[in-house]
Amino acid sequence: MAEPLELVCPAGAPAALRAAVDAGADVVYVGFRDQTNARNFPGLNFSRSELRDGLAYAHDRGTRVYVAINTLPEAGNPDPWHRAVDDAAALGCDALILADIGLLDYAASHHAGLRRHLSVQASASNVESIRFYQEAFGVQRVVLPRVLTVAEIAELNAQITVETEVFAFGGLCVMAEGRCALSSYATGQSPNVQGVCSPASHVRYERRGDEMVSHLGDYTINVFADGEPAGYPTLCKGRFVAAGRASYIFEEPTSLNVIDSIPDLMAAGVKALKIEGRQRGRAYVSQVVSAFRKAVDAAARGEPAPACDLGSVTEGQRNTTGAYAKDWR
Amino acid sequence: MTDNRHSSPPLSPVLFAGLVLRPLPPSLLQPLLGVAMNVMRERQPGLFERLDELAGNAFLIDPVDLPFCFVLKLDPRTPNLTCIRDAADAGTPTAVVRGPFLMLIDLLEGRIDGDAVFFSRDLTIEGDTEAVVTLRNAIDSGEIRVVEDLLSLLGPLSAPAQRLADAVGAVFRRATADLEAVRSAFVSPVRDKSDAQAVRIRKLEAELAEMRDDLRRLKNSARHRKQTELAET
Repeated sequence: MAEPLELVCPAGAPAALRAAVDAGADVVYVGFRDQTNARNFPGLNFSRSELRDGLAYAHDRGTRVYVAINTLPEAGNPDPWHRAVDDAAALGCDALILADIGLLDYAASHHAGLRRHLSVQASASNVESIRFYQEAFGVQRVVLPRVLTVAEIAELNAQITVETEVFAFGGLCVMAEGRCALSSYATGQSPNVQGVCSPASHVRYERRGDEMVSHLGDYTINVFADGEPAGYPTLCKGRFVAAGRASYIFEEPTSLNVIDSIPDLMAAGVKALKIEGRQRGRAYVSQVVSAFRKAVDAAARGEPAPACDLGSVTEGQRNTTGAYAKDWR
Repeated sequence: MTDNRHSSPPLSPVLFAGLVLRPLPPSLLQPLLGVAMNVMRERQPGLFERLDELAGNAFLIDPVDLPFCFVLKLDPRTPNLTCIRDAADAGTPTAVVRGPFLMLIDLLEGRIDGDAVFFSRDLTIEGDTEAVVTLRNAIDSGEIRVVEDLLSLLGPLSAPAQRLADAVGAVFRRATADLEAVRSAFVSPVRDKSDAQAVRIRKLEAELAEMRDDLRRLKNSARHRKQTELAET
């Protein structure tokens, strides 16, 4: 039996952490309740004491906890980010997920013994970039951006010595992660600094007859017909009219799902699979983690993924294998 | 996560129960709601801590298959839940959440995912999106068990009462599935016809868009030809 891929699962709240652990997560990743992480949504994330309890719950059951501190510190105000690194280390987390080179340097020099993973927000997708992070900051794992095919990942893994983690399920960014300015353009807030893409405070829905119209800031993002599955109103998933025709210019509202490609990712030398969705509820966490637990274990035994239906929890109620196949080429 | 489409009530046992309950004044439910809120505050301090940032906001919770609604007022000192007959009596709530009653209970107890039922358009919301997201995240951070928590007040009788509640719940859910099957049998032929018409309309729209493109190109070409002729003369 091959070594199963590590299953890295999201938790936006203590109940979701417990759900992820109980459903078979190898690792749960979380963030503090502030702008130091890229899911800084209202009412979400962990206080220090909640993280302490969460760590105890996870560690007692053999599950590790990674803390994402993956936004870019504000100029002249690094304290919240430094405090987050110090607190995560003091509480006993198992790894930090970081994107900013200044913060990587801070973590490397102040908490050298704590594992450092490079966040997808750093958008490191080539050998030279990954080697730089490894040599300069002792990064032990890189979370790869969702722009590479499985073949490209295999080629990359053959040339680097750090572990790679790839996204396996959930919301999908088509833009270069960590460099996208669409949310910032529309709302003044971005995932890169404020930790929030298309913040709910700027989202508005309007009823127009039987249609639902979604807006982000001053922009109309989509018009959904009665009963048509909906998605988040992000600019990259907007349906726009060009040359007289309404279509999804960048990306349709859909979720990544590579549950059937796990053996290929294992063969490509990937170490861990990440499930997106810290902003989702514990029902989502339980359902998706359970399905992936079974699929990862089946793949390790050389068996196909057991049948499962994750369609109901996907955005737009549709799945894609995203860039891993790039079948649109 | 907001939509102000008004949901149609599903054909469910709750709908029939609502018709039976219609003559009763909503105030009869008030003592039970008061107890429920007290129990929740006692058992879910973390949830109410997260709700602090919503202090002063009011949410209208509208089960579309019941003849009454609930208003959740997040008063900083004593958050309270009130039952009202008519949504219009809720004043100007921060946001409105609409959906079938059992789905709202499933959401409250974390058995289903809020985004999933929003994506499928079963849950409809209007008003302040950020407030709704905060409320959803706060509720999901706890592990609420409405019936279990209320029955625990019965002391030694809570265990048999819980078994009874589970049995009733199972009957309700099975009846809901059966009624959905009946509804589907009636609606399917109409829906199939409607789907076929929708496909035809989309095809016609695409053809129309292509014709518009062709027309635009022809106009541009004619304009260009005219300009060339003028330049030559």
